[in-house]
Amino acid sequence: MNRKIIKKIKRVFLYLVVVVILISVLMPFFWMVSGSFKTRLEIQASDTKIPGKEPSWIPRRPTLRNYVTVNKEVKILDYFKNSIVISLGTMFFCILIAVMAGYSISRFAFPGRSVYTVSVLSTQMFPGILFLIPYFVMFIWIRKNIGLPMRNTYWGMIFTYTSFALPFSIWILRGYFNTIPREIDEQAQIDGCTRVGALFRVIVPLAKPGITAVGIYAFIMAWNEILFASVLTGKDTTTVAIGLLKYITAQEARWGGMMAACVLVSLPVLAFFTVLQKQFVRGLVAGAMKG
Amino acid sequence: MKNLKNNGTLITQIKKNRIAYYLIIPALICMTLVHIFPMLWGFTISFTGLDIYTVADWTKAPFVGIGNYLEGLDVNSPTGGRFLRSLWNITYYGIVVISLGYLIGLGVALVLNQNFIGRTIVRGLILLPYIIPDSVAYSVWRFMFQARIGIVNQYLLSLGWISEPKIWLVGDRAIYAVMVASIWKGWPFTCLILLAGLQSIPLELHDAAKIDGASVWHRFRFITFPLLMPVTTVLLLLSVLWNFNAFNQFYVLLGRDPGIAADVPSTLILREAFESFHYGVGSAMSVVLMGIMLVFAIFYIKKIRPGEIAQ
Repeated sequence: MNRKIIKKIKRVFLYLVVVVILISVLMPFFWMVSGSFKTRLEIQASDTKIPGKEPSWIPRRPTLRNYVTVNKEVKILDYFKNSIVISLGTMFFCILIAVMAGYSISRFAFPGRSVYTVSVLSTQMFPGILFLIPYFVMFIWIRKNIGLPMRNTYWGMIFTYTSFALPFSIWILRGYFNTIPREIDEQAQIDGCTRVGALFRVIVPLAKPGITAVGIYAFIMAWNEILFASVLTGKDTTTVAIGLLKYITAQEARWGGMMAACVLVSLPVLAFFTVLQKQFVRGLVAGAMKG
Repeated sequence: MKNLKNNGTLITQIKKNRIAYYLIIPALICMTLVHIFPMLWGFTISFTGLDIYTVADWTKAPFVGIGNYLEGLDVNSPTGGRFLRSLWNITYYGIVVISLGYLIGLGVALVLNQNFIGRTIVRGLILLPYIIPDSVAYSVWRFMFQARIGIVNQYLLSLGWISEPKIWLVGDRAIYAVMVASIWKGWPFTCLILLAGLQSIPLELHDAAKIDGASVWHRFRFITFPLLMPVTTVLLLLSVLWNFNAFNQFYVLLGRDPGIAADVPSTLILREAFESFHYGVGSAMSVVLMGIMLVFAIFYIKKIRPGEIAQ
């Protein structure tokens, strides 16, 4: 009897803890959504010191205005398009190149492999800021001497982000390919595939979870990046991450519009994640645990 | 490594593995162009007086030797003083955020490793902070931390912890606001990895210990914790490494210039190069930062993954 009660108390306590965790995780999301439905007047007039005017969780006069006029003051939908192009481009090139490189270091014992593997590993550790200045100078140099504009272009950004997503992607895919038995490659070759044919026809379909994880990683990385975007993008290529900062200027802070934009910017990432959560988590964890 | 031992000269081996080279060529080109080459270039720039007038043709920039380094590390010059302070800031910030983030992540992982209704949904939900973009998360926190209209002050006031609304995002308190926001954003990833580590511990170990009469604490101390050690080491070392890159949280929450007490190397170098146009000094500071990170990186590669690379 007594043990039963203790067990029950333990269960209740467990659920309480879970609820506390959930509340602290979700609070900022509620604040974001509620803020996106508030009028500008309500936000500006609220004051923690005046009773009846405190900032509240539920909008006092809910409005859709922030969503309807979302592209008006800050061109967030245009930035949205820029971000989609850049992120999808990054995802595509990153997967293509990382599959080839990851397969190569997983399957062949070629001279120079360990040097290459170490350099893949170490490049992902260097500070981004270290590359920013040479990058800037390099982009100027390329335009001047080759005539190819790089700053404020889609390909310049895709190229930048692909290279930054590559080391981690190669590393994860190498780990994934290592778990696929070599006999499968050999079988495919006996059945008449070339080495490269075996990779794309047989191994790639088997490695789908790993490839999905890498794809999402590359997409999210490009979608989120701020440091390089703040210097290398211009008015034709501004990404959403930079666009969000434009709601606050020296003259005014448009919190309502900013929160509505925040909701919109989170949507693609959340959609991606909900659909592919299992594969993404499995791929990431496998990458981190096995190396 | 089998092939290497058995047959022949280097050339036959390179020929034998021709396809391997074809396959890594794109990645190699990309990484040479974007990592190795710019790194050497940045190193070169750090010894020149590259500025707004010479940036169009960097070869014309005068060679100044280690002048940039002397300026960047001189406690008495304004730039050097701020750079050293920013190194201290990032260290302090890192110690707090990494240790608290790890403790929260571990605690929640232990809770979520229990059986309860709705466990799968909860596990998905706690990943939300990790999933949403940095710019979104920190913009929302910036809104929450506002002095007059923010929810943080509202709660602190109604709990009676403060009597006047505090200004969070300017001055000495700013770094703590950033810490809170980035712990919130960061612990779910730690939790995810630790949870996977917990699930790889065989249940029989715990059952056997229970039969031997081990308490909950003892089971954690002598079974769970030692078995989580490998994951923990990798996780903490990577966190320390990545911490030196911290930029987004400071830039989004506090703006281009976070103030002396919350300035970190990335924000400082960005301003030094692209607002003051001292590309040379900026590069020298980045090289110093890389030198510090290199120590940890070498440690990481040597100690953590000795067998991995040769494998």
